[in-house]
Amino acid sequence: MIKFENVIKKYNHQNALDGVNLLVHRGEFISLVGLSGAGKSTLMKLIIGEEQIDGGRILIDDVDISRVKKRDLPYLRRKIGMVFQDIKLLPKRTAFENVAFAMEVCGHRMEKIVKEVPKILDLVGLIHKKDSFPHEMSGGERQRVAIARALSHRPVLLLADEPTGNLDEVNASEVIDLLLKINQLGTTVILATHASDLVNKIKKRVITIEGGKITMEQEKGKYKL
Amino acid sequence: MFDSISFLRVIKTGLTNFVRNSWLSMAATMVMTITLVIFSTLFLLFVMTNYSIKTIKNTVDISVYFKIGLAEEQIRNIQDSLAADARIKSLEYVSAVQAFEDFKAKHANDQLITQSLNELSENPLPATLHIKAARLEDYPQIAESLKQDQYANFVDKVNFEDNRLVIERLNKILQFIITFGLALAVIFALIAILVIYNTITLTIYNRKEEVEIMRLVGATNWYIRAPFLTESFLYSILSTFITAGLFLPVFTKVVPAVIGYVSPQAGEVFAGSLTSYIWMFLALFAIAVVLSLSSTLLAIRKYLKI
Repeated sequence: MIKFENVIKKYNHQNALDGVNLLVHRGEFISLVGLSGAGKSTLMKLIIGEEQIDGGRILIDDVDISRVKKRDLPYLRRKIGMVFQDIKLLPKRTAFENVAFAMEVCGHRMEKIVKEVPKILDLVGLIHKKDSFPHEMSGGERQRVAIARALSHRPVLLLADEPTGNLDEVNASEVIDLLLKINQLGTTVILATHASDLVNKIKKRVITIEGGKITMEQEKGKYKL
Repeated sequence: MFDSISFLRVIKTGLTNFVRNSWLSMAATMVMTITLVIFSTLFLLFVMTNYSIKTIKNTVDISVYFKIGLAEEQIRNIQDSLAADARIKSLEYVSAVQAFEDFKAKHANDQLITQSLNELSENPLPATLHIKAARLEDYPQIAESLKQDQYANFVDKVNFEDNRLVIERLNKILQFIITFGLALAVIFALIAILVIYNTITLTIYNRKEEVEIMRLVGATNWYIRAPFLTESFLYSILSTFITAGLFLPVFTKVVPAVIGYVSPQAGEVFAGSLTSYIWMFLALFAIAVVLSLSSTLLAIRKYLKI
């Protein structure tokens, strides 16, 4: 589904990614581990076309994304959901409105939005919080709303960049459980994290990045650094 | 570019931005209005002065009064020789009989004059020739040549109404209006561009989070940009309507008064024409749209990261 071929990305003449080769299959759950600055976030930004590569190529369903025109990038992003450490919810909108917002800006009809959003909130276990504002929810709940928003386009791929970074253990493990559940429903998930205990619990494919290079690949692996 | 739902959503977002930054929006609208007022004033002054010059130019002419009892044939000879003069644009001949009839008709209601006219045994009025020159500068020479000896036996009096000084002054005023007015208009247009640029930049800054999320969830670039363009379009519409409202009384009252003062019969023609008002409205709207959209596009290019 996603293929990295000798990908190079430079920031100020320094290689953030240095010849990365990676193959992600449909339906996989991948934990991308490594220290801060190892290149995890860069790798994700390249997949959604937010950054341009400096060498090699990235294929998503056999489409070379460096050849996707800038105006077509939004349509690529609708196939890929993304969540972040800093969550990025709109503070003045309720959980329902935050998820609806994503569907609105992509031109979905109101009837469809009203029908779909409760289903998605139910999936992330927050239907009872649909009218709550972000400041009325816990960090874990907020992150689950963000995941709901990322799922609103029914993406084939979900990228989670340190989604548990600001959460306590209980909240973090709720978020990971949700990601696993989404994966079971058929969505490919790539989780970037440096929380070793969470990775060990997941028991799925682990890819370790160090200094912009993939240094280790394990099926059902553990966090080793 | 959009389906209808997205179009409505974009307009709604633009309106919301406008209302949320109401102070900034008002400032932007005011500056744009001032600019449009300057443009309109300039336009009106130009039109009125130009019109006045044209009208006054028309009033300049030379009247040649022939000696009483001169034969029509001799007058015709003079008329023919003058008609050959390239400097002369038109000749209007009023015969003595015609002049008498005109005079009678004009004072038909005045019994005293009518009575005294009836007492007269012969026509006291001379035949007249009204001459218009092709160019303003030629009038003095033409008037001078008519006073020469060859005409002395036929011509009683040459009357030359010299309005050239007035025209020269009006021309100077027109020149001043054009240079000073245009400079002022350009300065205010630049100020309007700057103020709108700043307003839109602030709106972009206020909506930074929203824009970032829109981008990440796959909103198209135009969907992200369009609300800012809508907002600046609102400034154009509002300021055009305010200016047009301010100028409605000017158009219906002041302009007819001024034009009426210069030439009474033309005033109503000018003021009554709703079309000139509509044209000015459209011109103002075009100016406003060009100014506000160009500054918004500049701000978007610089600050809206897509």
